[in-house]
Amino acid sequence: MSELTQELKAKIITQLNLEDLTVDDLDDHTPLFGDGLGLDSIDALELIVMLDKSYGIKLSDPKEGRKVFETVQTMADFIEANRK
Amino acid sequence: MHAYHIQSHCLIRGRSITVNGNTFLEMDPSTALNDFLKAAYRELHIDYPKFHKMDGLSKAIFIAAELMARISGPYSSDTALIFSNYSSSYIADSKHAADIFATEHPTASPATFVYTLPNIAMGEISIRHQLHSENVFFIFDSYFPEFLVPYIHSVLDGQKATDTISGWTEVTEQTCDLLLYHTGTGGGIPHTVAEVKRLYNEEHE
Amino acid sequence: MKREVFVVGDYLISPLGRGSEYHFQQLLGGHTAISPVVDPQLADHPIYAARIDEAAWLSDISDNTRYTRLEKLFILALQALIDRHGIPLDDRTLVVLSTTKGNIALLHNRESPFPEARVYLPVMADEIQRYFGFENRIITVSNACISGSLAISVARQLLQTDDRYERAIVLGGDELSTFIVSGFDAFQALADEPCRPFDRDRKGLNLGEAVAAVYLSKVPEEGAVRIMGVGSCNDANHISGPSRTGEGLYRSIQVAMREAGNPALDFISAHGTATAYNDEMEAIALDRCGLSAVPLHSLKGCFGHTLGASGLLETVVAIHSLRNNHLVASPGFQHQGTSIKLNVITQPRPRPLTTFLKTASGFGGCNIATVFQKV
Repeated sequence: MSELTQELKAKIITQLNLEDLTVDDLDDHTPLFGDGLGLDSIDALELIVMLDKSYGIKLSDPKEGRKVFETVQTMADFIEANRK
Repeated sequence: MHAYHIQSHCLIRGRSITVNGNTFLEMDPSTALNDFLKAAYRELHIDYPKFHKMDGLSKAIFIAAELMARISGPYSSDTALIFSNYSSSYIADSKHAADIFATEHPTASPATFVYTLPNIAMGEISIRHQLHSENVFFIFDSYFPEFLVPYIHSVLDGQKATDTISGWTEVTEQTCDLLLYHTGTGGGIPHTVAEVKRLYNEEHE
Repeated sequence: MKREVFVVGDYLISPLGRGSEYHFQQLLGGHTAISPVVDPQLADHPIYAARIDEAAWLSDISDNTRYTRLEKLFILALQALIDRHGIPLDDRTLVVLSTTKGNIALLHNRESPFPEARVYLPVMADEIQRYFGFENRIITVSNACISGSLAISVARQLLQTDDRYERAIVLGGDELSTFIVSGFDAFQALADEPCRPFDRDRKGLNLGEAVAAVYLSKVPEEGAVRIMGVGSCNDANHISGPSRTGEGLYRSIQVAMREAGNPALDFISAHGTATAYNDEMEAIALDRCGLSAVPLHSLKGCFGHTLGASGLLETVVAIHSLRNNHLVASPGFQHQGTSIKLNVITQPRPRPLTTFLKTASGFGGCNIATVFQKV
């Protein structure tokens, strides 16, 4: 599980151009949107693209997206449950 | 008609940035443009992580606007943005096309696609400096102050804008030919075609 | 005292056909330019879009293998406008071109017979310049989805204040391409059905292609429409999402209306892309201006979102609405769908009309509002 969260953190940092962050800076449970990391709507769309491209999971309901992308942990859980 | 003056100007040519003729940063010509712009951002000593998401055109424009603001800012919210270039948003266009025509896993990136419009750069500095004014992005085959200077005067005379930031922002994958200047009614270099051309052709050591 | 500028001519090309009067009749008859498009070259899934079938008119341009598809559309529209109004192509004529992506379909496209350099907008503009022999350099404006309206504003600005110009042609257009479709897809902005601006059940936009042109003059003629006021203000909020308070559009409308002398409005031609956020933002901005009761339509339910053409195309239709004293309905609308109730026109109907407001918003937080009035 922690291998996936590490992988996810690295992917998030690269995909979203979070230059000033390292994998160690990203906590598994920090809120990604809102007050935590402060990601925005374009970042959310990028994460959807990443889910599809890297893990073969298609997400088209934005409401589902909000729950899935709450934290690195929720993303990892979702991927574990749904990956192809 | 009021007389308008250039309050500050920024030139980014090759790997050199000057503001009002003074060097802000100079790097070896072999430095990749992206690395050069990143180094310039670091020299600004600001905390603006969104910078790293921008394309090359927006980064260069952001840096220039930031540097000029330190001299003749903070900008009025009625500062109109009147920019121009040759290649529009070619850097982002090319990246998006490469993504979607890739032979393996062709995938469009929303973060790339959003920059495939040259006026996004104006949006970025509008956000940074809270500018609620007119934005116009012109495309010309070379810098055209004979058109732009009268247009800027017309906009300022119309009194919907109190100031303008204007110029030429031709940024490609590895080259940068940028002159941006802030015009208003305060003191400075007279805003005329001749003076603007002189600034554009300004050589620096 | 600033000179007055009038729209004295116009021309449209869309999937419905060619000619503005023709388009107006088609709209009144409830025709739509949007249809299902199944084309693996364009997208890996079927989309609803408004696509021009150029097979019908390809032979109308001389030396037609020289020009790209979009250039041909521009040339046809310009030729029709110039011929109809006998527009002199001398140094007193300003030509302003609006496009978001021009010949982008050529970019990294190995199958295209045209050199990649044609992707550059000045190269494209140059082809059109040389076809007509315009004396002045074509002025190209590329400013996201407000380009069409903005190009009118730029031309007006110059006609008002610069003695070098007597008249202006403002032309705008964009075409469908994988480049554009894939981008909007990545934004999950496309509806999988004909779009429904301002509707409760709207699911997103449809893309469309069109070319529109207007002829501006300092001298009013029969049927002239005066450009009364323009306002263009950035949201300064986000580069792709509209401001939740409609700040930029609100300010733009206020500036335009003030310049116009705060006239009573007979209708509004809104941007209305049918995305959840845009339509909601527009409703909020209009309400903040006290305009939510003014009859309103979006034409994107008929033409789709035509990007660089949209501001011009929709303005032209609105002008014909004014001239014919006939309100045009808002295609695709059935149920109230914004938090502020708007007065969406559901049936075309005759009514004396004098003044309308055109609004547009685009990526980069830009907005523009323009007030037009019959002379």
